[in-house]
Amino acid sequence: MNAKHVFKQWVMGICGVATLAIAPVVDITPAFAHGERSQEPFLRMRTVNWYDTEWVGKSTKVNDVTELKGKFHLSEDWPRAVVKPTRTFINIGSPSSVFVRLSSKVNGTPMFVSGPMEIGRDYEYIVTLKARLPGHHHLHPMFAVKDAGPIAGPGGWMDITGSYSDFTNPVKTLTGETFDSETMGTATGIMWHLFWAAVAIFWVGFFMIRPMYLIRARVLAAYGDEILLDPIDRKVGTAVLIFTLTVVVVGYLAADARHPVSVPLQAGETKVKPMPIKPNPFVVEVTHAEYDVPGRALRMTLHATNNGAEPVTIGEFTTAGIRFTNKFGATKLDPNYPAELVAQAGLTMDSEAPILPGQTIDIKVESKDVLWEVQRLVDILHDPDQRFAGLLMSWTEKGERLINPVWAPVLPVFTRLGA
Amino acid sequence: MFRTDEIIKASKLPPEGVAMSRHIDYIYFIPILFVTIVGTFHMHFDLLAGDWDFWIDWKDRQWWPIVTPITAITFCAALQYYNWVNYRQPFGATICILALLAGKWVTIVAAWWWWSNYPYNFVMPSTLLPSAIVLDIVLLLTRNWTLTAVIGAWMFAALFYPTNWAIFAYSHTPLVVDGTLLSWADYMGFLYVRTGTPEYIRMIEVGSLRTFGGHSTMISSFFAAFASSLMYILWWQFGKFFCTSYFYLTDDRQKTTKVYDVFAYATLAHGDKAKAGGKA
Repeated sequence: MNAKHVFKQWVMGICGVATLAIAPVVDITPAFAHGERSQEPFLRMRTVNWYDTEWVGKSTKVNDVTELKGKFHLSEDWPRAVVKPTRTFINIGSPSSVFVRLSSKVNGTPMFVSGPMEIGRDYEYIVTLKARLPGHHHLHPMFAVKDAGPIAGPGGWMDITGSYSDFTNPVKTLTGETFDSETMGTATGIMWHLFWAAVAIFWVGFFMIRPMYLIRARVLAAYGDEILLDPIDRKVGTAVLIFTLTVVVVGYLAADARHPVSVPLQAGETKVKPMPIKPNPFVVEVTHAEYDVPGRALRMTLHATNNGAEPVTIGEFTTAGIRFTNKFGATKLDPNYPAELVAQAGLTMDSEAPILPGQTIDIKVESKDVLWEVQRLVDILHDPDQRFAGLLMSWTEKGERLINPVWAPVLPVFTRLGA
Repeated sequence: MFRTDEIIKASKLPPEGVAMSRHIDYIYFIPILFVTIVGTFHMHFDLLAGDWDFWIDWKDRQWWPIVTPITAITFCAALQYYNWVNYRQPFGATICILALLAGKWVTIVAAWWWWSNYPYNFVMPSTLLPSAIVLDIVLLLTRNWTLTAVIGAWMFAALFYPTNWAIFAYSHTPLVVDGTLLSWADYMGFLYVRTGTPEYIRMIEVGSLRTFGGHSTMISSFFAAFASSLMYILWWQFGKFFCTSYFYLTDDRQKTTKVYDVFAYATLAHGDKAKAGGKA
């Protein structure tokens, strides 16, 4: 290795250290998202169709109780590549436990453990949360499917103000005691760890105060172990053995006496009945669908029949938590829904007129917005099965909302219309 | 009190050599051996039994007392071989578990509390220190690794649950939330959101051991003790394999021999190859 080579390596090393030193000064923008856009579109579009998601109380103080709630439909077009939802869990996607989750109910049934759900059915969830860590947090409902993984729902921001040091979460147990989830058992655990560490350090230290390695290896090689096995080691060893066993037994009995009532960990299965199927007089079928790549638009042809007594107006198409609305649908929007997930005026139809009772019509619907690109749903075109699924929202004249799941294969269009 | 003077005399090292050997003891023992065990054993343990040790709602009465001792006794056995066979030092298992817990607590404070904001009680690790101390003392008293595999390894696993009951008994206190019976540990697992760890990931009393008259803990501990004995034997042999030095010697007739006497290498380095080769 010559001097020039050494110099080069020094320069490279200094540059590396300088880069590391400067990096936090130049840009320390924190990352907020959870990588939800990285989930493949077929997962987000064709498994769970989220709707009516609400982040109740978008600004809370530490210790305030709030809710994340909404509904979801398990798509009939569930991908073959994804394990069927025979064991599922409603979860929260958040940057650590910024809230503690006090309760979670699906269709009114508490969901502390996982359970099966049915494809093609709807569920309503309410998750009760208690604010814990101050900050500006991005929260998602999540639908976790065993062997498939968590499927993120739409994300919304929730602010928590105050100080974490004020956070408490006392809970009353069946034995009448009150446990605080932040502190219960901490002091006892640390005390036992320190105690056993002290005994262990004493044990190792008893041998450390004497020559440990090189000298003993020489003596062992030359004379065997008779000199090395000091009689005091056996005496101290016996005493430490008796002491250790005694403390283990006493500790066990003391803990048993302190907490005489105990139950094993509970891990059954939650049985959730799906929401009743609501009669829907509006029947919709997708006869053709295509994705216009340069135009960033999903176009579908709907064969729709209104079997009801009132005219029906289409207002929204939603998939993967993204909402495409027309002017009519925009009036039905929850103003608190994250604006970055809404394409207002993103939905157009060749006929905006209401579909009259008894009428059967073919409608061309286009959901068009840069959100297809931003939310990385365009990647559908790279899937081995190029399909989409979502929910079509329509309203009757009296304001009743009708929800139609739609799904179909998608054909890509790589050139602009008319080109 | 100790035989230290006798041992030093038998080593035939000059006073400077004795002083130097103590320096080597400290430099080797704490910055090298201990930190190496922290790095390697902590990773090994967390990959195999991590979730059982991370989360309070994983510490069930079936899998937790099986997985943890069986995973932990591995490095203990190998380190016992190294320390006992080469130096007659009976603290291989204790130093191993001390190092593991040092790594654990660094993780708990830095990763779980400071970075992820989970409270200490939610991620409190179990302790195997009494088990390790007993394992070391059994080796010291019996001076026999086979007996240690039968008695010590068995006690290593059997002591695990009663030792940790003192830390975690409270977490089995029952409570009712929304009309559902839960243990405190279950509710802690529910309260503290883990985005990537849904409830079904847990393995709670899954398997046929539960059907053995309902005495899950006793049966699990007994099974863990049996498996720990086997694991001890296996990893003692790993220790032997990695602590055994040898080299290959090719003599003038091109005959290659495996030589275990590493001290002979120095002789060979001084040009006495033919003689040593002939002997080998």
